[in-house]
Amino acid sequence: MADIYSIVTSQKLSYEQKVVALAHAAEDTLSVLPMPERTKFYFAQGVICNLNEGNAPYRPRYIMPDYQKAVKDGVKFLELAPPQDFDELLTFLQVLYRHVPSITTYPVFLGDLDKLIEPFIVGLSDSEVKRKLRNFLIYLDRTITDSFCHANLGPEATRAGRLIMEVDCELAQAVPNLTLKYDPSITPDAFAEQAIYTSLCVANPAICNDPLNAKTYDRYGISSCYNILPIGGGSYTLTRIVLPRLAAMTNDKKEFLETLLPEAMLCMADYMSARIRFIVEKSGFFESHFLVKEGFVSRERFVAMFGLVGLAEAANHFAPEGKKYGSDAEADDIAEQIMDAITEFVNQYECPYCDIANHHLLLHAQVGIDTDYGITSGIRIPVGDEPESIYDHLRHSSRFHRYIPTGCSDILPFDITGKQNPAAVLDIIKGAFSLGQKYIAFYASDSDLVRITGYLVKRSEIEKWNKGETVLQNTTQLGAPTYASAHLANRKVRGV
Amino acid sequence: MTAPVRKIISQSTVDGPGNRTAIFLQGCNIRCSYCHNPETQAMEDAEASERTVPEVVEEIRKSIPFIRGITVSGGECMLRAEWLKELFTAVRHLSDETGHFLTCLIDSNGTVPFSSHRPLMDVCDGVMLDVKAWDSVIYQRLTQSANNRIVKDNLTWLLQEDKLTEVRIVCVPEMVDVEVILNNIAQIYGFIGKSAPIKLIRFRPHGVIGALSAYPVTSEEAMNHYISIAESLHLPVRKG
Ligand code: SF4
Repeated sequence: MADIYSIVTSQKLSYEQKVVALAHAAEDTLSVLPMPERTKFYFAQGVICNLNEGNAPYRPRYIMPDYQKAVKDGVKFLELAPPQDFDELLTFLQVLYRHVPSITTYPVFLGDLDKLIEPFIVGLSDSEVKRKLRNFLIYLDRTITDSFCHANLGPEATRAGRLIMEVDCELAQAVPNLTLKYDPSITPDAFAEQAIYTSLCVANPAICNDPLNAKTYDRYGISSCYNILPIGGGSYTLTRIVLPRLAAMTNDKKEFLETLLPEAMLCMADYMSARIRFIVEKSGFFESHFLVKEGFVSRERFVAMFGLVGLAEAANHFAPEGKKYGSDAEADDIAEQIMDAITEFVNQYECPYCDIANHHLLLHAQVGIDTDYGITSGIRIPVGDEPESIYDHLRHSSRFHRYIPTGCSDILPFDITGKQNPAAVLDIIKGAFSLGQKYIAFYASDSDLVRITGYLVKRSEIEKWNKGETVLQNTTQLGAPTYASAHLANRKVRGV
Repeated sequence: MTAPVRKIISQSTVDGPGNRTAIFLQGCNIRCSYCHNPETQAMEDAEASERTVPEVVEEIRKSIPFIRGITVSGGECMLRAEWLKELFTAVRHLSDETGHFLTCLIDSNGTVPFSSHRPLMDVCDGVMLDVKAWDSVIYQRLTQSANNRIVKDNLTWLLQEDKLTEVRIVCVPEMVDVEVILNNIAQIYGFIGKSAPIKLIRFRPHGVIGALSAYPVTSEEAMNHYISIAESLHLPVRKG
């Protein structure tokens, strides 16, 4: 109860942030999920972590509505007819977004924004479209006060996509995140270069390897922190295994791989299955929510994300003294053994209600949270251990990205001169994608907007928060400690 | 055969289109008063090492598939035309072997006639040519070299052969006849009916030890003035 009192009386939380925190606290008074002894143990050790998903899930964590269908059919529950012009479309989307649930209470996926908009701007001038888009994007940034929110562009070049990027460049906002789905055989260089230029100005959009990620499901979208999920579905849950904390329990690699890891993974998978069952069988979400009833999402298109974090530190723990993940074959080979063991486990474990994933949990390179000290995001190379050459860095990523279907990424700060030659950055991306690297985000080293683990925050907002002032964006609160604890200011800046 | 390699930059974004591996050879035959790499002027230097083509090819291989090509620069790399031909031929084989096509560009001061190096030009995808001055007296003062007739011949010949990737002009007000250069290039482009991009480079004294070391950075206004002249002549121009 002390917790609740401190939420109620906080001067650092905004009103909306208090409401969300209180809802969380209420949910956590329940205990409806089975917790066997060993599971409880791994939770207590911080090996398994449910990322504050709450103890009684009443909606899937990430929801990816089929906005295309909604725009075509209208939404009965919200009394929205199919929009007929650009103004109607923008109002339609604003209303609909407001009603898409998620773990953050804000929508984590805003759809393929360029494709949604393109048919509605025929006959309107660029400046007219941009004026309306500007208002629309400002509305989103100020009402979706959480950077775990994502809109997608591409792979086709569109006028809408170009204008969205132009407006984004002017506004320099943290919300929404943008990702360009990039396919070298579809996306023209000029469009990709505009995306890169924009990104070097405002740290958006990130670039996603479309041909590779498109293989994961029939239709995918990118949500939240680079999650690759099926459109018309989403993910019930994201629970993660914190590998370094498990590795710390032994110095014997064999024991780790053959005893501890399988046991912890089984506990976590069973826990995830219980969460899925509760959402599907008890919460009433799939019986009652309009998104389901009107066919914008369906239960068959939900997956569950089996997250992992800190592969680097776990591999380094078992590697010979001084050998490091990212630069030494010995450590990388151990990391590969760990990934092979995890992959083998998820491929044989059957979980309920995951039809689109063939009834398996899907691996996710979880990017970390603010309390992760000395634990590197997913499968990334620790800050400070990056190889001298960006080429070696990206080759390394390619080697490990292949294991992860539901999202993994690299974040690279680039030297500002990259702005003068986006084509050069594109060459590097093309090379990386051809090797199997799946997702790349970058920002200019002098940018106010910085990527923390996947989401964006403003350095200037971090400073405000650190001084004890309230800030609009929830993610600033997560970002401020992470920026410091993960030494993100020391990320290796890549010269271009 | 070897050439004195001063340094290799695996990731360069300022030596031609896209991302490239740039190879700098030791030795130059002129002495520009604004030279940014005066250490590469001497024909020999302890910092440069004699490298064979296969050695350099192995360095280039490490940058695949992240680059779209290589650029050889200097000093003046055309002083090693035979070695260049061997290198570019080997890079073509490397492209075939890896399936990743690489273009081979030369960055040159244009004092060696390209037309007398046909076999090299057959394996070279293009040249980035420095046009340092148009008036020969200005050229002489700037470079301590007899005259620039060969540079002008090269400009025309490369354009005709579709091997002119870029023309570079370092803009130093009063020291370089930028307007005259632009006018003459426009005439040549018009006469031949082809064109190539022009990069106007802003002079910065940083690193310069020649006569212009105390000269100020070329102002933004001056650069914009040159750009507008180039644009009025319908030249494809950009600032570098
Ligand atoms: S051509 Fe001029 S600027 Fe280039 S290396 Fe030689 S002296 Fe220096």
